Amino acid sequence: MEDKRPLIEVQGLKMYFSIAGKGFGKKSRQTLKAVDDVSFSIPEGTTFGLVGESGCGKTTVGRTILKLYKPTGGKIVFDGKDITDLSEKEFSPYRKDMQMIFQDPYSSLNPRQTVNEIIGAPLSVQKLVSSKEERDERVRELVHMVGLKDDHINRYPHEFSGGQRQRIGIARALALRPKFIVCDEPISALDVSIQAQVVNILEEFQEEMGLTYLFISHDLSMVRHISHRVGVMYLGHLVEVADVAELFENKRHPYTQSLMSAAPVADPKKAAASKRILLEGDVPSPMNPPSGCPFRTRCRYATEECAAAMPPLRDIGNNHQVACYNML
Amino acid sequence: MSEHLLEVKNLQTNFATGAGIVQAVRGIDLYVDSGEFLGIVGESGCGKSVTMLSIMRLLADNAAVRADKLEFNGKDLLAENEKAMKKLRGNEIGMIFQDPMTSLNPLYTVGTQLMEPLKLHQKLKKKEAKEKAIEMLRIVGINEPEKRINQYPHEMSGGMRQRVMIAIAMCCDPKILIADEPTTALDVTIQAQIMELMQELKEKFSTSVILITHDLGVIAQVCTRVVVMYGGLIMEEGSLDQIFYETKHPYTQGLLESVPRDAELEDGVYEKQKLKPIPGSPPDLMNPPKGCPFAARCRYAMRICNMAPAELTTVSEGHRAACWLLHPQAAAARDKEV
Repeated sequence: MEDKRPLIEVQGLKMYFSIAGKGFGKKSRQTLKAVDDVSFSIPEGTTFGLVGESGCGKTTVGRTILKLYKPTGGKIVFDGKDITDLSEKEFSPYRKDMQMIFQDPYSSLNPRQTVNEIIGAPLSVQKLVSSKEERDERVRELVHMVGLKDDHINRYPHEFSGGQRQRIGIARALALRPKFIVCDEPISALDVSIQAQVVNILEEFQEEMGLTYLFISHDLSMVRHISHRVGVMYLGHLVEVADVAELFENKRHPYTQSLMSAAPVADPKKAAASKRILLEGDVPSPMNPPSGCPFRTRCRYATEECAAAMPPLRDIGNNHQVACYNML
Repeated sequence: MSEHLLEVKNLQTNFATGAGIVQAVRGIDLYVDSGEFLGIVGESGCGKSVTMLSIMRLLADNAAVRADKLEFNGKDLLAENEKAMKKLRGNEIGMIFQDPMTSLNPLYTVGTQLMEPLKLHQKLKKKEAKEKAIEMLRIVGINEPEKRINQYPHEMSGGMRQRVMIAIAMCCDPKILIADEPTTALDVTIQAQIMELMQELKEKFSTSVILITHDLGVIAQVCTRVVVMYGGLIMEEGSLDQIFYETKHPYTQGLLESVPRDAELEDGVYEKQKLKPIPGSPPDLMNPPKGCPFAARCRYAMRICNMAPAELTTVSEGHRAACWLLHPQAAAARDKEV
């Protein structure tokens, strides 16, 4: 994997939001550090899985990379070019290389547009087609690619099931022949039997077109299945990154360990054999995070050192990085 | 009098809607014994929640519920009036719902909501009820219950609200606890906490639990017996091991193959296996198929599957499946691997 050059490089990415506090006026505004100093890179043609619990900032990372937010700090490099400070106009040509698949197939499709209009819109916006015939032809091709039929083209989203809608969302993302797709929880709203259909489509397209994915999910078994490299986030920080096999067999961060032990396994014998490490309490509020390591309030191994400063992401060999003073 | 704690025979639930009649549950038999942890698994729209709501008689007026038998603890629930049902709900049968954000009333403190069933069913005085409520909060693992009891739901996290819901459901010492997707809205680490708590409470209060979920992983962790539903019918039922390791129905098999179960090789290396999704999508219950509801998606489907639904056949003790492949004459088709 190391021979491939990175398509996406994220260095020290920070995304802070200013949130209204309890009082009135500017003084009462508080800062929410949704993403704080996150760095990783994704080699071309591979999948980077980003896992963590709700509110850990994984979706914000995906959206910031696509420049849907203006990052507070850090650098985003796409295909060797720093795109962090490009204006909307300068960024426009890059948009067609970077697409997104959304979590909720019910709210991410315009209910007043037909499938033809939904999938055809990006083609027209980026002026990739010169005539209506060419556009219709390309839409038909895309619809077939995601396993839908010709007579679906002129229907509206409400006529489709969740899984079919997610296929439409994928066709829309593929329309511009992107290089990179952010998949933001693309299967979590779908039924189990349909999830596998969508994951298989994503894998097939990666093989055929050499696509690069950022796969954001809280479903660890799916992340393990689809990813080449995985990052674990907690409260805005990346706490552990490694290649998928290395991470699942040699997890070193206490949070990664408990997260993985908490994930239910659909196998009663394994479930009975595995020891669950139960975490106490809830994720702290990101408005008022603990000092130092954000995980220390729930960590069994926390020491005074952890309260003093956030441990840096250190390389422990084997292309494996962990942010912990007392790694296991 | 039946030997089961809860027994349902031929339950059918139809909904009258503007577009026609939806046959959500189409004749199912179900039982729960005391001390059992029963899991009902199926995809959205398979009728698993409606089954439970039908038993509790919690459905809206447009629902028509019919059953040949609906007995709880020796009582015929079909004959009971609404007043008697109210005495049952929250007292002898506790319920937990999916969304802890919406199932608590935002306008009342947690304490008020927890004391209500105690005052109503157990006829406790206010002071006694408060003491019991604090004790229940402590049992479900909430710190500083004396302080928490005066807080409103919005002051608590999702995991804590679900703990409060469990405390409310358990406070009258019910014989059955029905949990409808209790952890779907929660994060995995919180889900593990809640499942652990439910198992603990089940032992402590010797309650039977019915867990409704779509997550086979959750089932594998806690249940002793499993019912698999699809298209308003029961496809397969059996013990945990029978369902997971001696799978007889192609739908159950399909569900198990849809989740990644990377094979573990001898030297501890994992081998990735391609997912085998179930093609197609579930049937429309407005107009359910004449035959087996799964026939259209089944890789073993035969001509008969589209003509009539298969009866539940006993495979071994406690293990039943509704599939034509189990018919003695279908032996040849069963070996056909597609």
